[in-house]
Amino acid sequence: MQSGLLTTYRSPIRTRNALAWLVSAALFAFYLLLYLPGSAYTPNFPDVLSPIASALRLPSKWFLYGGLYSLGMVVGGWFMLRKHGNSRYHRLRTYTVVAVQVVLAFSLPLVLNVLGRPEYYFSYVWPLSYDKLFPDTLAKMPVYVALYFIVASLVAFPLLAYYKGKRFYCSWICGCGGLAETFGDPWRHLSDKSDKAWRFEQVSVHTVLALILVTTGLTIAKAAGAAEDGAIHVAANHATSAYGFFIGALFSGVLGVGLYPLMGTRVWCRYGCPMAAMLGIVQKFGRFRITVKKDMCISCGNCSTYCEMGIDVRAYAMGNQDIKRASCVGCGMCAHVCPRGVLKLETRADAGPGGAVQVWTVDL
Amino acid sequence: MAATHHVIVGNSIAGMEAAIALRARDADARITVVSAEHPHLFARTALMYVFCGQLSLRDTEPYDQGLYARLRFTRVHDRVTAVDPAARTLTLASGPPLRYDTLLLAVGSVGRPLPSAPDEGPGVHRFVTLPDLEKLDRETKPGQSVAVIGGGLIGVEVAEILHLRGLHVHFLVREPWYFPVALDEAEAAVVATHIRAHGVDVRLGETVSAMVRGGVAGGPPPAPGARFTLTVGGAPLEVDHVVAAIGVVPNTAFLRDAVPLADSGAIEVDDALRTRVPGVWAAGDCANVTWVDGSRRPEQLWYTARDQGRAAARSMLGDDVTYRRGTWYNSAKFFDIEYTTAGFIPYPANPAPGWVAPGFRTWFQHVPGTAVTQRIVCKGDRVVGFNALGSRWDHTVFLRWIHERRSLAFVLDHMREASFDEEFMPPFRVLPTATVTEG
Repeated sequence: MQSGLLTTYRSPIRTRNALAWLVSAALFAFYLLLYLPGSAYTPNFPDVLSPIASALRLPSKWFLYGGLYSLGMVVGGWFMLRKHGNSRYHRLRTYTVVAVQVVLAFSLPLVLNVLGRPEYYFSYVWPLSYDKLFPDTLAKMPVYVALYFIVASLVAFPLLAYYKGKRFYCSWICGCGGLAETFGDPWRHLSDKSDKAWRFEQVSVHTVLALILVTTGLTIAKAAGAAEDGAIHVAANHATSAYGFFIGALFSGVLGVGLYPLMGTRVWCRYGCPMAAMLGIVQKFGRFRITVKKDMCISCGNCSTYCEMGIDVRAYAMGNQDIKRASCVGCGMCAHVCPRGVLKLETRADAGPGGAVQVWTVDL
Repeated sequence: MAATHHVIVGNSIAGMEAAIALRARDADARITVVSAEHPHLFARTALMYVFCGQLSLRDTEPYDQGLYARLRFTRVHDRVTAVDPAARTLTLASGPPLRYDTLLLAVGSVGRPLPSAPDEGPGVHRFVTLPDLEKLDRETKPGQSVAVIGGGLIGVEVAEILHLRGLHVHFLVREPWYFPVALDEAEAAVVATHIRAHGVDVRLGETVSAMVRGGVAGGPPPAPGARFTLTVGGAPLEVDHVVAAIGVVPNTAFLRDAVPLADSGAIEVDDALRTRVPGVWAAGDCANVTWVDGSRRPEQLWYTARDQGRAAARSMLGDDVTYRRGTWYNSAKFFDIEYTTAGFIPYPANPAPGWVAPGFRTWFQHVPGTAVTQRIVCKGDRVVGFNALGSRWDHTVFLRWIHERRSLAFVLDHMREASFDEEFMPPFRVLPTATVTEG
């Protein structure tokens, strides 16, 4: 289904060469300039982006960022579809994730801001948008908006993950995933495939989930009437700003995108994102899986190489074993690049036909 | 008593799967893997992807490199030059002789050389081993021309990767249509149309009668830079490179008379993959095995090499083993067109235009404007084989239907259950243009 061959390793910027390091450094610099000024820990860091944003008559540097982000996804999506657009799955997925970014994560907030209304980013819910279940945050919202974030975070999105896999979010809606799938596509093969990376990922991603659960719990306890100067109140405030800076800004932003050219595109999604962790747990018990066609694997390694989550897909395919991994974001690239059509993304309730039939002879 | 010393010659899928299976059952044995090609198992099937930079060679290694140490395999990076079964000793090209208790020959195949090639020097290529890949990579440059000779799976892969590199590819097929052992005339036409649309010069039914370096003897001087002149269908064709893609031959020349070989050079083995020499087994595409139709041939498939390696290991450990692959199924890819086959697909001994499988009833359709075809072969009304181009199918469902002796009508009604396409792909439909041919 993949049209034509790829020339990944012939392209220097995709092979961790000097140019790739330079791009990485530029991304790091941009994200540091974006997040450090005015943060709780580096309040006096010089702010160069805000003047640029006001020169462009944008309400804030965040809209400059949103505009560049959307542009990166549109251009990256165009290049991505030049390679993989012969697949209807990848066309629909890419159109959707780019449209969600441009409409829900950029245009709608901009319009709301211009109209003088509070901005809402409806494509980001808790725990990725970590404050969306903080009572303080919810209290400032109109009731229907607050209801949307509560239901989406706790009911609707987990249910969708159960029936369709967490891919519905990570590869079709989420902006972090969307940037990885479009702008980041040239670097998807750089993800670490080792067992060591897998073990690290399991610890780190669930640690971040635990951190946001604790932080959210503290803010609820605080709102439930903890004393103004009590330990819970102080802890909630500290946890909120620490999580926002170290996880929200440094991990998901600076490291998550800055490392694209060196460690692949899903560093944040794989090692840090609490949304991915939570939906991954749901996925493990849900219907989504990648089925493997018996014995047809030729061990070539395209699936594992192009898995941005570092899953050794080939090991499952060689063992005729269906793949059910919490980390799988269901981008579908393994199935797409497989030259023998061995892999299929499935959400059927039953196990499906096929399987262990062995016919020794065809009776002629 | 000293631990048994299992020696495996060949580090590809058959040899490695045997080594892993031996270790799983025998924690104390000494296991030595001898290979000259590459220190780790790599997927030979992926050579084309390494050539064009879609994969690194490391990406094609199915197991992490630490596996050899963890499973305590001794690796000998050397070439075996002779086997002495009486003394149970291997002679190596550079290292000291190696004693074994049991020996597994998993030595694979090499590309069949062109009988008409003037030599094996620069510009003359094959594409089966790592040295073949390195030579092709080193010598081919964009803008050059190449003749790929042989209408099979290696030929189409080499044509594709050299076309991608920017060479002018002449794909020379001796038979009247491409790959007649697997595709019928209509299917092959779909493939040829697709390959030509990429800009490859596909020539069908043409034989290469002569090949010389430089110009034709006694003819006009060759064009500047042309390194070979081929005579194809009576006309000269000047090219910079020639690739022999006319199949493979077992890599058994070094065995000479140490173990009995078939005329093809394949190592004769019984159902337990034992050679006729005590203490020596063979597995993979160097082994002459009995097929379900009773014929004796090597199986040149990745999954059968894996299965043979595992079966040989059990046999070496003394199990009562009967290796049987079962019904044919396979997949391939012709440029962008994926191919799946399962069951019995009749093919002509001498392909000629208009050929119809005698004694079989054939249902066929081609989705207009695409490279999607389905062919269902029936004996009477009973379905016995499937061939599909351009879409993905679960062959295990096809095999089950064959096993259940399903009718054509049943199969057409249930075809969607066997689909393995990506989501959102158009579902299978029986078109009004579908044909049934009685042979």
